[in-house]
Amino acid sequence: MKILLIEDDIDTAEHIVKSLQQHRHVVDHAESGHDGLFLAAGQTYDVLIVDRMLPGLDGIGLVKTIRSAGVHTPVLFLTALDGVDNRVEGFDAGGDDYLAKPFAFEELHARLKALARRPAPMQAETALYVGDLEFDLLKRIVKREGRTIDLLPQEFKLLEYLMRHVDEIVTRTMILENVWDFHFDPKTTVVETHISRLRKKVDFPFANPLIHTVHGSGYSIHV
Amino acid sequence: MSKIRFLRSANFKLTALYVLLFGASSLVVFGVIYWIIAGTLQQQMALIVKAEISELEQDYRVGRTAGLAQEIETRIGSGRYPFNYYLLQDKSGKKLVGNLPSMAAFEGWQDIPAPYPSVADNATDLTETSEHRAYAHGNHLDDGAFILVGTSTYQADESKEAIMRAFFWAIGVVLVLAFGGGTILSLSFLRRIDEINRTAKAIVDGQLNERVRTSGTKDELDLLAVNLNDMLDRIQALMESLQQVSNDIAHDLRRPLGRLRRHLEGVRRDAGSVEDYQTAIEKGIVETDDILATFSSLLRIAQIEAHVRRHAFRRVDLSAVFETVIDAYGPVIEDAGKLIEIDITPEIVIDGDRELLAQLLANLIENTVTHTPSGTSICLSLQQTQDGPVATLCDDGPGIPESERGKIFERFYRLDASRTTPGNGLGLALVAAVAGLHGASVAVTDNHPGAIFMVRYKSA
Repeated sequence: MKILLIEDDIDTAEHIVKSLQQHRHVVDHAESGHDGLFLAAGQTYDVLIVDRMLPGLDGIGLVKTIRSAGVHTPVLFLTALDGVDNRVEGFDAGGDDYLAKPFAFEELHARLKALARRPAPMQAETALYVGDLEFDLLKRIVKREGRTIDLLPQEFKLLEYLMRHVDEIVTRTMILENVWDFHFDPKTTVVETHISRLRKKVDFPFANPLIHTVHGSGYSIHV
Repeated sequence: MSKIRFLRSANFKLTALYVLLFGASSLVVFGVIYWIIAGTLQQQMALIVKAEISELEQDYRVGRTAGLAQEIETRIGSGRYPFNYYLLQDKSGKKLVGNLPSMAAFEGWQDIPAPYPSVADNATDLTETSEHRAYAHGNHLDDGAFILVGTSTYQADESKEAIMRAFFWAIGVVLVLAFGGGTILSLSFLRRIDEINRTAKAIVDGQLNERVRTSGTKDELDLLAVNLNDMLDRIQALMESLQQVSNDIAHDLRRPLGRLRRHLEGVRRDAGSVEDYQTAIEKGIVETDDILATFSSLLRIAQIEAHVRRHAFRRVDLSAVFETVIDAYGPVIEDAGKLIEIDITPEIVIDGDRELLAQLLANLIENTVTHTPSGTSICLSLQQTQDGPVATLCDDGPGIPESERGKIFERFYRLDASRTTPGNGLGLALVAAVAGLHGASVAVTDNHPGAIFMVRYKSA
């Protein structure tokens, strides 16, 4: 992936750039809003990471500007402002995801990948496939090896989210946000419990497990 | 209090303005009255003169000039008309009779100088030099003779002068009263303002318990004092809570930070292999995340308590929020070996913040799940009542001692029995903060055995 990082804190920026480079991404780094705007408008990136509080032009203003200039590159806001209002402001400005500092790099990485591979909107899929697992989105029927699997409504939502991000890592927080719209960190094992129940139905009766735990990061569905 | 300050005081300025305005309007009123009275006096004089003329015209018709002259002579001589003036001149302008000197024969109304009437007290009232005047009307007779009849302006002048005198006295008294009253008001006003200033100064100097003395008169100044005191109470409460939070942070975050440090020192001392270091780093990251989570919770509570999020309120389907949270937590409760009975009335709507309302319920459920033993029965209901929606979460676990029930909603407060269970002691503090933000109340009571948490929401 080619990523533009607009972040004025040198320490944070260095950490992100090094970690992303380790994962073989190409990273450009801008330290101010104006430099970032210049780069974002001039070159093509797969995803932008934008700090909200920047010297010169702030993150919100920057994203508004590039959006009005017709640049549709996915934007992830990375910021210490983590109030709900701040998040809503970020989305209103044209941001696609929002991650509060301090963050775990795995969380950032998983979200960047999900953003960069975001399917083009309005391309309605009617079914999802992962190996021999089949999800008919219209009829809400899940089959594996031709056998129908009975799922509860929450399990349908969780499986759909995982399957839409096949071969990617989805973190606990991403699941909480996207399946239940929870923007807080439960102290109990909500995600783990649901994943384990889903596994019992989707994986256990079959030879090859599809849902994998990625240690320290989250979960991934793949063959 | 200095003279300058008195002159600068708002009340004095108002008093001065009032005096000025009152004086000006009194002047206008007086001017109008004076003008009307002067007009009326003039008319009365004209009436007197006209009546005289018509009587004398009768005499002229009967006795011609000679008869008229005799009549005038009689009238002057009789002393019955002390304020009237007469003058009869022949064609050549020679004075025939009258108590006025001969003059140019002008017809019509005129204002002429005249000697003092014999009854006028001119020695005391009017000086020698001041001129006395008469209001008169001149006519030519058929034979070319000229008659002038006039009346003294003495009475009219006296009346006008009396009005003037009365006015000056009145204005004088008004000004004295206004200034005197204004001064007294201003002084007492300033005294109370001074009192407020002194209190403010004392508070600035560090005597935070100082309050403005109230007089109990319920006037604006007293209300101001009461409101100021309320504000000071609120500020003091906020400061104390801030102090409390700072202390909490200092105490409760030092513990995990200290633990992290001990672990790191232990690794430096004992670790022998790369694997040891990797395990230590993983552990360190987990511990750091815990500390960060505690910080986030504290920040979130502070943010919620500041009530800045109220402007983001919108209609929220509370029943739907409950359904979602139960869907998420149902399996967690079951896996913990607990039973839950659910009774949610659908389509209950309130004004609020969906995200926080979800977290409120999630935290309550997590609290119950974490602090009750396996096999506990839990019930959760949401009902519409006359006073608004009420959520009840009950369990038959160990319950909460009565003395602790108020404290469990404080930051970092943990029952002794739960010191060993995971948690940072902020879950219920956040519940209380979210409830406060929504104007809801949250309380815990006894379930014999167990605890009942009850949240009373405000109707939409």
